[in-house]
Amino acid sequence: MIDLAFMSEAWGKLLAGVPLTLQLALLATALGGALAVALAAMRVSGIAALDAAARFYVFAFRGSPLLVQIFLIYYGLGQFRAVRLSFLWPFLREPYWCAVLALTLNTAAYASEIIRGGLLSVPRGEIEAARACGMSRSLAFRRIILPLALRQALPAYGNELILMVKATSLASIITLMEITGIAAKLVSDTYRVIEVFVAAGALYLAINFALTRIVMAVEYWLTPHLRPVPVIALDTGDAG
Amino acid sequence: MSGAAGEDAGGVPPPIALRLEDLHKSYGPLEVLKGISLTAREGEVVSVLGASGSGKSTMLRCINLLEVPDSGTITVAGETVRLARNRRGETRPVEPAQVVRLRSRVGMVFQSFNLWSHKTVLENVIEAPIHVQKRPRADCTAEAEALLAKVGIAEKRNHYPAHLSGGQQQRAAIARALAMRPALLLFDEPTSALDPELVGEVLRVMRALADEGRTMLVVTHEMGFAREVSSRVVFLHQGVVEAEGTPDEFFGTRGSERFRRFVAG
Amino acid sequence: MNQVGFLELMGFGPQGWGPSMLFGALMTLAVAGSGFLLGAAIGTLGAWAKIAGGRVARSLADLYTTVLRGIPDLLVIYLFYFGGGMVLSSIAHLFGEGGFISLPGFAAGALAIGVVSGAHHTEVFRGAFRAVSRGEIEAARAVGMSRMLCFRRIIAPLVLRYALPGLGNVWQLVLKESALVSVTGVVELVREAQIGAGSTRQPFDFFISAAALYLCITTLSGWMMRRAERHFSRGMARA
Repeated sequence: MIDLAFMSEAWGKLLAGVPLTLQLALLATALGGALAVALAAMRVSGIAALDAAARFYVFAFRGSPLLVQIFLIYYGLGQFRAVRLSFLWPFLREPYWCAVLALTLNTAAYASEIIRGGLLSVPRGEIEAARACGMSRSLAFRRIILPLALRQALPAYGNELILMVKATSLASIITLMEITGIAAKLVSDTYRVIEVFVAAGALYLAINFALTRIVMAVEYWLTPHLRPVPVIALDTGDAG
Repeated sequence: MSGAAGEDAGGVPPPIALRLEDLHKSYGPLEVLKGISLTAREGEVVSVLGASGSGKSTMLRCINLLEVPDSGTITVAGETVRLARNRRGETRPVEPAQVVRLRSRVGMVFQSFNLWSHKTVLENVIEAPIHVQKRPRADCTAEAEALLAKVGIAEKRNHYPAHLSGGQQQRAAIARALAMRPALLLFDEPTSALDPELVGEVLRVMRALADEGRTMLVVTHEMGFAREVSSRVVFLHQGVVEAEGTPDEFFGTRGSERFRRFVAG
Repeated sequence: MNQVGFLELMGFGPQGWGPSMLFGALMTLAVAGSGFLLGAAIGTLGAWAKIAGGRVARSLADLYTTVLRGIPDLLVIYLFYFGGGMVLSSIAHLFGEGGFISLPGFAAGALAIGVVSGAHHTEVFRGAFRAVSRGEIEAARAVGMSRMLCFRRIIAPLVLRYALPGLGNVWQLVLKESALVSVTGVVELVREAQIGAGSTRQPFDFFISAAALYLCITTLSGWMMRRAERHFSRGMARA
């Protein structure tokens, strides 16, 4: 019943969607990450207005479905003449940029909470030592707090990256031909649901597996201070 | 042998490195500092003793403004810290630049070391000189290597704090404080978090610093250090300076009743 | 270009889409609810397989959770929608009926959500079970409770208590997933908004309303979850 020859043919066709999938996911994660740092900073800034604004942003984007956010940007913004006449319109009428924007704004909300968790987990003593050395708040944030927070947040952030890859599949609903878009078209053309589905699923799993490995490697590379003590041949004269 | 806090050949006492006048500090209803006054001259090693809750750490942390006293004056190396009440009634330093300047001149060694865990020992020591004092990297690195050798952990320069013993970490922290070329060194119970057998290596380093003539303010429970290394002992009790004097006066026949009980108990 | 004011558009008057949107929201809750319950059932099975199952059961459960947490929900929805139709058509074919029978969107959607959330449920229940202290189970056995009784009176209630926060999270996930069911044509909230947008050419108004309605639902859900957590945590020491 399952046509393996067809499945490998489908696999080949689906591969064409990988670059777009990866582009969307990585671009949105990168841009969203920057926005997330800003949001997290707003949350811990101690300024009530910034905190409230960031909290509302996170609430709005985490409490509503990504699909609605995509539709709002792709279909909704076109309702306003002001938008249609602005310099942004060439971007905002393209499904690609609408998808990037929606994914970015969405992931920023989740990522900011992850980063905020990281910020709160930085040991108080290390922050105090930074202040005691005369570092200004922003210098201490840049050199000590943020690096430590990001290292702490890495595992959760890696998970968010995987979720982003899955989220890119929604771009197919606004006509983008990433993996899911191609899969849907294949299915409606050939009615070979099982083969296409298995191939597409396997492709996503492969991508996510590879990404997980890369994230783990980055984690390892960034945290030599969390690894066990290196065993050196002979410790030359430990003065004790 | 007390510290090198003597008078110079002309009989003129050394300049005042630190002056605290009538510091008060409350946390809500609890008044921790009830009028602390203290003076330290250059080259003096002042040991601050007292029971828990006597305000020792709070007083120390006021000196580099990690805590801000509600009232009172702080003068470090001749510069008085300008404080004012803000809209919420809290006392705050007026000039951020002054705070940075002050902290550059005052080195602090914490009870729990507080080394930055994502940086190597060497990176820890050069961090503030490069980024706060804006000195050239090459100079800072060379000086850092010398300091690490001085405290006896040169071979650990590229290790991370987590890979060092407590004593080694605290010595690294001392090197970090020294790298700022401070006028005054503050020690907040530097050996309290150490295993007993590691205490000695840290005290040795502190003693060497005292012999060099550095101005040090040490909150400690180590009576031996207080008696043998310091030039003055200050005893805090319930937020005020209960007694002050030379180690001989304290550990000898004079000294307040409460102090005796403290030492004995 | 006859632009209707937002309040009138969403209101309950003659031009108002208010009732339709609210009905869409109810449909969302229906799909999400069905999917959630199905997922909970699957999750219980999955957790059981991972905890007490043999090597085969455990491997199957691991495969299930790994696969379903690594592929997009949309793919699963397409699978059930198109695939379900194929299955139904084949069955109909056996009975001599030709043509293509499609699986109703609601069924496809609920099934898909159930299968996907089942993977999350599995992990939630597994974690909750591990949180139950061995001592409480041992005490139950020590007073002579049978395995069935012990499960019913001790294990299940405690697991439920620990699982509540996780279940709350899964519910929020399922609510947002239900938006994807719109691709099957089910007229839940997103589809309703699309219909309205197409009809009035005021997509922003409709989608912003949809978003607002989702926010209401998730907020209410969160609030109810917290109350439930508080209620079921009576007498338990806070971590």
